Amino acid sequence: MKIASRLLISRAIKKLIKEPAAPLMGFMMSLFFLLVYNAGIGGIGNLEVFGENGYLAFIFPITIISLSMGSASGAGQTLSLDMSSGYFKRLFYSPAPRWILVFAPIIADSLSSLFFTVILIIIGTIFGLPFQFGIISVLGVLLLSLLWSITLCGFSAGIQVRTGNHQSASVVTNAVFPLLFLSTTFLPRELIEAKWLIMVSWVNPVTYILEANRFLLGGTSSQIFFVIALLILLILSIISVMFAISSAKSIKIN
Amino acid sequence: MNMEVKVSSLVKAYPKGEKVLKGIDLMIKKGDFFALIGPNGAGKTTLVRILTSLIAKDSGEFTIGNKNNQNDFFEIHKYIGVVSQENQLDPTETLENHLKFQGRLFSLSKEASEKRTSELIKIFKLVKEKNKKVNELSGGNKRRLHCALALVHEPKILFLDEPTVGMDPLVRENFWQIITELNQKDGITIFLTTQYLDEVDKYANEMALLINGEIHYSGSVEAFKESLKDSANISVEEQYLDYIKQLNLKEAYIYENSK
Repeated sequence: MKIASRLLISRAIKKLIKEPAAPLMGFMMSLFFLLVYNAGIGGIGNLEVFGENGYLAFIFPITIISLSMGSASGAGQTLSLDMSSGYFKRLFYSPAPRWILVFAPIIADSLSSLFFTVILIIIGTIFGLPFQFGIISVLGVLLLSLLWSITLCGFSAGIQVRTGNHQSASVVTNAVFPLLFLSTTFLPRELIEAKWLIMVSWVNPVTYILEANRFLLGGTSSQIFFVIALLILLILSIISVMFAISSAKSIKIN
Repeated sequence: MNMEVKVSSLVKAYPKGEKVLKGIDLMIKKGDFFALIGPNGAGKTTLVRILTSLIAKDSGEFTIGNKNNQNDFFEIHKYIGVVSQENQLDPTETLENHLKFQGRLFSLSKEASEKRTSELIKIFKLVKEKNKKVNELSGGNKRRLHCALALVHEPKILFLDEPTVGMDPLVRENFWQIITELNQKDGITIFLTTQYLDEVDKYANEMALLINGEIHYSGSVEAFKESLKDSANISVEEQYLDYIKQLNLKEAYIYENSK
């Protein structure tokens, strides 16, 4: 059982390496965010609300969040292929437990997201991205990214398995996408004029992830955001993985 | 007697409550070539899916090679091989890697898995295709690979759920040659469901007739042929149709009209 689980995880990772189109698209989208927004409206970084570190430290967290969203939309690429080809059913006859059939792609997708986060951090560093607490900031950003990826990939995989539709992987990304605009994504709360938007941003988990990253990078936010974001992501990632695993156990065979 | 498959009072119902299997009892001996026949919707595939632990039963008991399904889920998967109706293949993998991975999945060492892969490639006459990706294989070769994958871990029982659907006659003949050899030389028990009754006539020694979730006959193929017309010369197909007609089932008339 252990061998089968290990093999399926390594297979999911190899499949992603062989066919990296989906995570690469996510990465390109994030890079686009970083370059275009920093070059286009980076000048507003001179405003006092952005602190000493300017707009780059402010906009960088959105690239991390969108990266995970990209991964989640391609999430379960292996799962998707296996379901459409029928190979997924063959794996039911193997000694591998059912939960690993869904958990393996979640691990692969989350690791791929983590890998591209590292690349984004390197690119950010070249552009002068600050790290308020040095290596601890880097590890903190990676941890938040990993948990966010697990959350999205878990829900994505679970929905795919429950609906039996391998094309439903993008549902999670589509559902989360509006949250980006209902948050402090592009401007700090102080510069948002609509009161309803400020209210919504307070209950939007994306706000806490963004602010937690900003605390780690530019030191422009409060430590409490990091603690809240970590708690939110821990809870969400556990719920998401539990959802995916329970989906795998309740698969209906047509 | 050494029983490989024992089923007693097995019941399965659809979520709305309609029973698909209404208390199935079956005994299959080690080394038997057993065929389960019956009209469409009789419950054959459901029974195979329960016995191969793909879906859960509602009530009743069964054992596979003395292993109890509820307690020995993983052991049963190592004991059986399954060839389902549809090909369940990874289209992006090469034929050879597909087989090797299957072996590793069943805990074979790397060397053992490679050795077994070579054996199966020869048995199924797939030497020329071994480096081709699955999506480049012909329909017949995909079917052969599908069957070979079920045999990588050397199962003791092979479940064949309408395995020859869509096979051309040549591939079909080759397929049965391999299966009968596995049954006769290696002693693998075969559990076949099929709509091609000539296959039952040619290859099976034991059979059961399943209609509307109930077993109407269980025993030897020869005895089935003699049971109604009292003649051993009659085919399984003729006897089956006679029996179905007596039950006034629609299928027999549709079948006859289509002839």
